[in-house]
Amino acid sequence: MIHVGPRTRSTIVSKGISAGRSANSYRGLVQIGPKAVGARNYSQCDSMLIGDRAAANTYPYIRSQQPQAAVEHEASTCRISEDQLFYLQSRGIGLEEAVSMMVSGFCRDVFNQLPMEFAAEADKLLALKLEGSVG
Amino acid sequence: MIRSDAPVLLEIRDLQARVEDKAILKGVNLTVRAGEIHAVMGRNGSGKSTLSKVLAGHPAYTVTGGSVTYRGENLLDMEPERRARIGVFLGFQYPVEIPGVSNLEFLRVATNARRAEQGDEELDTFAFEDLVRERLQVVQMDPAFLDRSVNEGFSGGEKKRNEILQMALLEPLVAILDETDSGLDIDALRIVAGGVNQLASPDNATLLITHYQRLLDAITPDYVHVMAAGRILRTGGKELALELEQRGYDWVDEELAALEAAAGRQPAEVA
Repeated sequence: MIHVGPRTRSTIVSKGISAGRSANSYRGLVQIGPKAVGARNYSQCDSMLIGDRAAANTYPYIRSQQPQAAVEHEASTCRISEDQLFYLQSRGIGLEEAVSMMVSGFCRDVFNQLPMEFAAEADKLLALKLEGSVG
Repeated sequence: MIRSDAPVLLEIRDLQARVEDKAILKGVNLTVRAGEIHAVMGRNGSGKSTLSKVLAGHPAYTVTGGSVTYRGENLLDMEPERRARIGVFLGFQYPVEIPGVSNLEFLRVATNARRAEQGDEELDTFAFEDLVRERLQVVQMDPAFLDRSVNEGFSGGEKKRNEILQMALLEPLVAILDETDSGLDIDALRIVAGGVNQLASPDNATLLITHYQRLLDAITPDYVHVMAAGRILRTGGKELALELEQRGYDWVDEELAALEAAAGRQPAEVA
């Protein structure tokens, strides 16, 4: 994200999901140019880990040449816990569907910004990709 | 209500189970018939919570012996989701939070899973919303709770009421409520107990796992069982609960020690 003009604003929302033995890395650059007085950026980087062999890394790069600009970065990690899965299963929801529900919930912020048909496709593709990743 | 001709819903025979390498259940025997309300009481560590988790199929527990049949079928062979769909409900002591998953969506999927199993038609979003608004009355919950994530930010009382709401929607045949009264204030307890009483019918059964007598003032049990060291030590009527309240659990330890000695074994350590 590159800010050139003054009072420009941007938001970055990144949702990363790692399953199996994969390691996911977020590497982002927020660059504020010298003329970008009053610029604001907010970056949110969320990682979801499925299983206990998955990993996630965050490498936020911030290069600012304007002291009167605000750049914020927040990172969070969550797991799909056995207790959460069991809770859903104990209500009649199968394991695959339970994982799918939790992952969809995790991605909601991003999917809600997409055109509906695309979001629906993304949702289904995600469920397909994660098939067999738990258990 | 006890009727000797009522069908047996749950038959637990000599159930043994462990968690990791620790044996917790050491031979539990219990028969639950339709229309009955059973209370299982005992100290912390007696195995009562473990019993509920084993019946629900929690993966952390391994059954090492005995059998459990539900309406004649082997329950222990079934996955947790199948047990739930055929009518076994576990009300958790500490319901877990599931951020990102809407309460309404979760309730709808769960309700439809149960309905599909029973051969009923599944409800679309609109029909389900009507149903859930009606059932919210049972637990006197605000519809605003439906839009929040499952149990996220709910108070203890609200979480327990959400459990009873699920019971009202899923209409289980055997409801196992694990310390549903723990952490509840008087008002929440009254609402939860009211809900359980409203949902109890001659066709279903409830198993109340509780430490305290006070829940049993509001929900009258047909049978009270006292658990210690992984077994049901004694069974009686509701007077047994009052006796426990007055005498505490020490006499249970003494009786257990006496039984073990009579059987020629070393007295077991009661946790």
